[in-house]
Amino acid sequence: MTLAIDARGITKTFGTGAVAFTALRDVDFQVASGEIVMLVGPSGSGKTTLLSILGCVLTASAGSLALFGTEVGRMRERELPALRRALIGFVFQGHNLISSLTARDNVRLVLETRGVAHRQATDEAEALLDRVGLRGKLESRPAQLSGGERQRVAIARAVAGSPPLILADEPTAALDAKAGLAVTSLLAELSRESGATVVVVTHDPRIFDLGDRIARIEDGRIVNERSVA
Amino acid sequence: MTVHVAERLRLVRKRPITRWIATTRLALAMAFSARAKFVGTLLGVVFAAMLANFQLGTMFGLLAKNTLFVDNAGADLWIVPPGTTFAQPGQRLSTALLDQARVTRGVSRASALVMVGTSIKKPGGGTEAITLVGVDLDTMLGGPFNVVAGDPRDLRRADTIFMEDAQRERFGGLNLGSVREVGRYRVQVGGLTWGLLPFGPPFAFVDIELARSIADVRADELSFVLVDVAEGADVAEVQRELARRMPAVDILRREQFHDLTVRTLLSQQLGITFGVSTLFGLVIGFVIVLLSMYSSVIDNLREFGTLKAVGFTNFDLMRMLAVQSVVYAVLGSAIGLGLVAGAAAGIRSANLSLVIPHALVLMTPPIMIGLCLLASLLAFYRAARLEPGMVFR
Repeated sequence: MTLAIDARGITKTFGTGAVAFTALRDVDFQVASGEIVMLVGPSGSGKTTLLSILGCVLTASAGSLALFGTEVGRMRERELPALRRALIGFVFQGHNLISSLTARDNVRLVLETRGVAHRQATDEAEALLDRVGLRGKLESRPAQLSGGERQRVAIARAVAGSPPLILADEPTAALDAKAGLAVTSLLAELSRESGATVVVVTHDPRIFDLGDRIARIEDGRIVNERSVA
Repeated sequence: MTVHVAERLRLVRKRPITRWIATTRLALAMAFSARAKFVGTLLGVVFAAMLANFQLGTMFGLLAKNTLFVDNAGADLWIVPPGTTFAQPGQRLSTALLDQARVTRGVSRASALVMVGTSIKKPGGGTEAITLVGVDLDTMLGGPFNVVAGDPRDLRRADTIFMEDAQRERFGGLNLGSVREVGRYRVQVGGLTWGLLPFGPPFAFVDIELARSIADVRADELSFVLVDVAEGADVAEVQRELARRMPAVDILRREQFHDLTVRTLLSQQLGITFGVSTLFGLVIGFVIVLLSMYSSVIDNLREFGTLKAVGFTNFDLMRMLAVQSVVYAVLGSAIGLGLVAGAAAGIRSANLSLVIPHALVLMTPPIMIGLCLLASLLAFYRAARLEPGMVFR
């Protein structure tokens, strides 16, 4: 079976010379299709750097990355935006919704950029927002929503168009405990329904158990991996 | 779950029109949502469009004032002293040229025009300069136009003068029937013209013989010969024939004389002054739009970064900024032109008139679009340099 993520020997160094800083050192990281992995570790351990490389928004200094069998390193820089549209849904730490668009438009925009026709994108966006409990907030702009609601919109946006890989960076960071757990549970639930592979970067031990596996990263290396019982 | 990457790539690349429309809608939403910035940017374009059109309109108005006489004299051809660029007092010619013109094939009628600089005495003392135009009353070529009071035929009455209505106060509050001293002669105002105000003194019209007497112009001298070409005759052909017969003078078609005056004025201070102020307006507008669009990108760096992370290309961002530029340019041009049109209608002054040619109206939106697109390049440069990975920091 093809791995969803097959990262080998990933090293990332920022800067050069005396100010060079190596954030990741020879990291091997594989994720099976449909698996939910929690990537945990202290601040500055390299979690977000690894997630950025997996999301093809940052290039590794060394090593190779294949997503669903496609070697990313062999692709040209200008081909990566299409690859991200085709394969990856993102959930960011601070929801990162477009402030001038309504909840529906935020979700629909991603669908339309993924090649879904306008009418179908509208229906799908509304269905997804309904699914995340925001039926009555379709026309609300991000500023009119609570933190939890914004993150729900962000999740709807991430799963819109059923991308096979979802990368979430600290999705609970800006939320209280209850909302954080609810939002991550929702993400896990929607991903399991669609069969998507999920990598969640988190500090939050309360959500560790929502994954299938926990990978611990420290000082730029994966030091421990265990399955969730 | 089996994922066919190539098939998914094919799917996201289909429906480019849907994607274009989505990015256009996003560009408009982003532009309209930041209302203060939108209004500020729009005002920049309005200012540029208005200032440029106002300056050019004023310039065209002044050019029109200086070509008004040539345009309205009724002559197809002008026989003028060599090197003449304006219809204004200057070197005098021999009346022999008038005789030669009259016997040239294709000439319907030709008449002398005397144009001299002189002054008019005001009742309370002091004088004002005028350009006295002596007209052949048989042909009335070069006679008064834009007449607002009196009848040009009244110039047949002895010692009658037509003067500029807009300068009545300047001439001591004159009116129809007022008597003034011009040179050694007392003349009576028999009519008024309006707006005949070139850069030099205003025009005043009298019978040609009276003009000769006032300004001591000999009977065998004249300033210009005005030629009316016979119906069916080729003006250019008649011009060539006159030039052959009169090699010592210039023969100008009406439009040539018009263009010569315009070119001369533009190549002198008028072109530089108005060119610089027009450019100034465009540069100010450019800078406002440039800074405003750049600051929009800076204010929304995280959103632009998010768009890049979710798969927007630099070309998508460029298109968004281009859409915003076109909106600013079109709306700004429309408002700016509307305000200038309102100002032009509101200005009812003989001294200042705004002339906005249709070509200028048609050229304004494309120029503003070009200006705004150029101004958006800095914003695009910033957006293009943005690392999509910044959204994870």
